[in-house]
Amino acid sequence: MSISETEPKIQPAQPLTPAPPEPPADHALTATARRHTWRRNRFAWWLIAPALIFMLLVHIVPMLLGVYVGFLKLNTFTLPKLFGAPFIGLANFKGLFDSANPIHDGFVDATRNTAIYTSTVVAGTIGGGMAVALLLNRSFPGQRIVRTLMLTPWIIPTFVVATLWQFMWQKDAGIINKVLVDYTHVLSHKPTWLLGDNTIWAIVIPSIWRGLPLPMLFFLAGLQAMPPELHEAAKMDGAGAWQRFRHITFPLLRPLIGIQLLFGVIYATYQFVMPYIMFGSDPGPKADLLMTLIVRQAFDNNLFGYGAAISTLLMLAMGAWVALWYLAFRRDLEVAA
Amino acid sequence: MSASAFSMTPRRRRKLTSAALTTLTYLVLVIMLAPVLWLLVGSMQPSSALSNGTYDLLHPTLHAFSAMWSNVDFGHYLMNSLIICGVAAALATAFAASAGYALARYRSKPLSAYSFTVIGTQLIPGAMFLLPVYLGFVWLKKNTPIQLFDTRIGMILVYTAFFTPVAIYFMRSFFLALPRDLEEAALVDGCTRFGAFVRIVIPNAAPGLLATFVYAFLFAWDELLFVSALTQTNAETIPIGIRNFIGNYNSAYDQLMAAGVVSTVPVLIAFFIAQRWLVRGITAGAVKG
Repeated sequence: MSISETEPKIQPAQPLTPAPPEPPADHALTATARRHTWRRNRFAWWLIAPALIFMLLVHIVPMLLGVYVGFLKLNTFTLPKLFGAPFIGLANFKGLFDSANPIHDGFVDATRNTAIYTSTVVAGTIGGGMAVALLLNRSFPGQRIVRTLMLTPWIIPTFVVATLWQFMWQKDAGIINKVLVDYTHVLSHKPTWLLGDNTIWAIVIPSIWRGLPLPMLFFLAGLQAMPPELHEAAKMDGAGAWQRFRHITFPLLRPLIGIQLLFGVIYATYQFVMPYIMFGSDPGPKADLLMTLIVRQAFDNNLFGYGAAISTLLMLAMGAWVALWYLAFRRDLEVAA
Repeated sequence: MSASAFSMTPRRRRKLTSAALTTLTYLVLVIMLAPVLWLLVGSMQPSSALSNGTYDLLHPTLHAFSAMWSNVDFGHYLMNSLIICGVAAALATAFAASAGYALARYRSKPLSAYSFTVIGTQLIPGAMFLLPVYLGFVWLKKNTPIQLFDTRIGMILVYTAFFTPVAIYFMRSFFLALPRDLEEAALVDGCTRFGAFVRIVIPNAAPGLLATFVYAFLFAWDELLFVSALTQTNAETIPIGIRNFIGNYNSAYDQLMAAGVVSTVPVLIAFFIAQRWLVRGITAGAVKG
C-alpha cells in the first residue's frame, strides 16, 4: 500500500470507478426497452449537444472545407471568389511531387526537417523524461522540491522559450557560445546557431528542454504506482539494476510510453511556435517545418490551394501514424483497459 | 567485480553510486533551471550590455520592465490575451463539463462514436481548419455585418472550438473518478437528472472545472498559429506581439526578456492555483491508460 517512505509529490491516479453497465445488445431489445434506453440516454445527448453543435460549426465543417480547398485553384487572382474558385482536381497534390514545380523543393525540405524535428524531439523528451523520472524516483535529500522544480521549463510558454533561446543562441554575445567556448573550452570556435545548418538544432534543443517534464511527470506517476514488492522479489533473486529495469520497470511503463509516443509525435509534427518565433515566417531551408510552410504559402504567397493540399497530406500521414501505433501498442491498450 | 577492483565493500560502493546519482540529479536540475535564470538576468540588464556580452550581474536594473509598455504596446497585447484566453477557456470548460459528464456516465454506440470523434479531432492539423476559417471570416466580413476577422469575438470562437475536445477528455476523467452515490441519492430524493447535475455534480467537480479551465487557458495563452493569421492589429495577443517585437526591435533583448517574464507570470499564477488537480488530471489518464 505505502508507495515510498517519504510522501510522494505526485499522487498516483484514483482507480477507475466501475464503468456503468453496458446496455444489452440492440437485437435483444424489445421496442419498449429500446424506447427506455433512448429516454435514459436522451439526457446524455442534451448534455453533449452544445459541444457537438459548436464543434461541428467551428471544427468539423471547416475541416471538410479545408480538404475541399486543397482541390481548388485558390491563389492571388482567384482569392476574391473564396470557396467558388475553380476546381482543379488533384493538380495541387501533383504539383507538390513534381520537381519542376517551384513549390516542390520547399515541400521536400519542410518534410525532411519535420521528420528530423519530430524524431529527435520525441526521442529526446521520452528518453530524457524516462531517465529523469528514474533519477527522481530514488530517495535523496530535497527530493520533494527537486521534483517540483524539474517541471519549471514546462510552465514557461513556448513562445517565451523560443524568444529566450534565440537570445541565448546568438553567435558572439549569446550565453551558450560563451559557456561552450569562453568559459569551458568545450569547443574551440563559436558555432553559428541561428543561420544555416544548425538552425534545426536551434529549434530541436529548446523543444526537448521544454517538452521533457511532461513525459517525466507521467513516468514518475507510473513508477510510483508500481508495487515495490516486484522489485524487492527480483532483487532477492539476484537481478541487477539493469535487469530489473529491462524486465520489470520497462514492461510496466510500456502503456505510458505508448501514450507519450502517440501524442508526442502528433504534437511535434504540428509544431509552429518554435520556428516562427525564432526565425519568422521563413525559417530557411534547414529549419522550415511543414506548419510554417503551409502558413507561409497560404498567407504570405496567397497559395491557399497548396496550403490546404499540404494540410490534407499531413492529416493523412497522422492517420497512418495512428494506425501504425495501434498495431504496435494494441496489446498494451488491452492491458491498460 | 568492480567492488574488488576498487577494493570497496558492496555497502561502500552502493553509497558512492547513490551519491553519484544524486549529484547527477542536481546537475540535470541546474540544466533545467539555468535558462530560466538567464531569462530573469537578461530582463534586468541594459540592452547594450546584452548585445556585447558585458553583463554586470551585480547591478540589475528594472528599466526594461517600464520601457516595454511604451516601446511596444504590450498592455494592448496583454489585455487581448487575458480576455481572449480567459473567455475561451471558460466557454470550453462549460461545454466540456456537460459533454464530459455525459461521456463519463452514459454508454451507447452513438455516444462512443462521438467520444471517438472528440479524440479524432486531435489528429487534424490546425492549418486544416485555419485556412477555411480565415476564408470564412473574410467572406463574412464582405457579405454580412458579422465581423470576426481581427476581433476578440472571432478569436474566442476559434479558441473555444479548438480547445473544447481536450477539455472534454479532461473533464471526463474527473467525472469518472467522482463517486456516483451522491447523484443517485439526489435522484432517489426526487431531483431531476438535470437538477442533480447542476446542484450535486458540478459543485463536487469544482477542482476538476478549475483544472480544466487552467489547462485550456495555458494552451490558449501559448497559441500562435491562429492568431498570426486571423488578426491584424485589434485582437493580437502576446505571442504575436513578441514576434512583432523581434521583427522590429531586434536588439532590444532586455525588453524582450522582460516581456517574456511578464507573460509567464499569469501562467505561473494559474499553474500554482490549480497545480494539485492539474497534475492529477494530466497523469490520471496516463496511469489508467
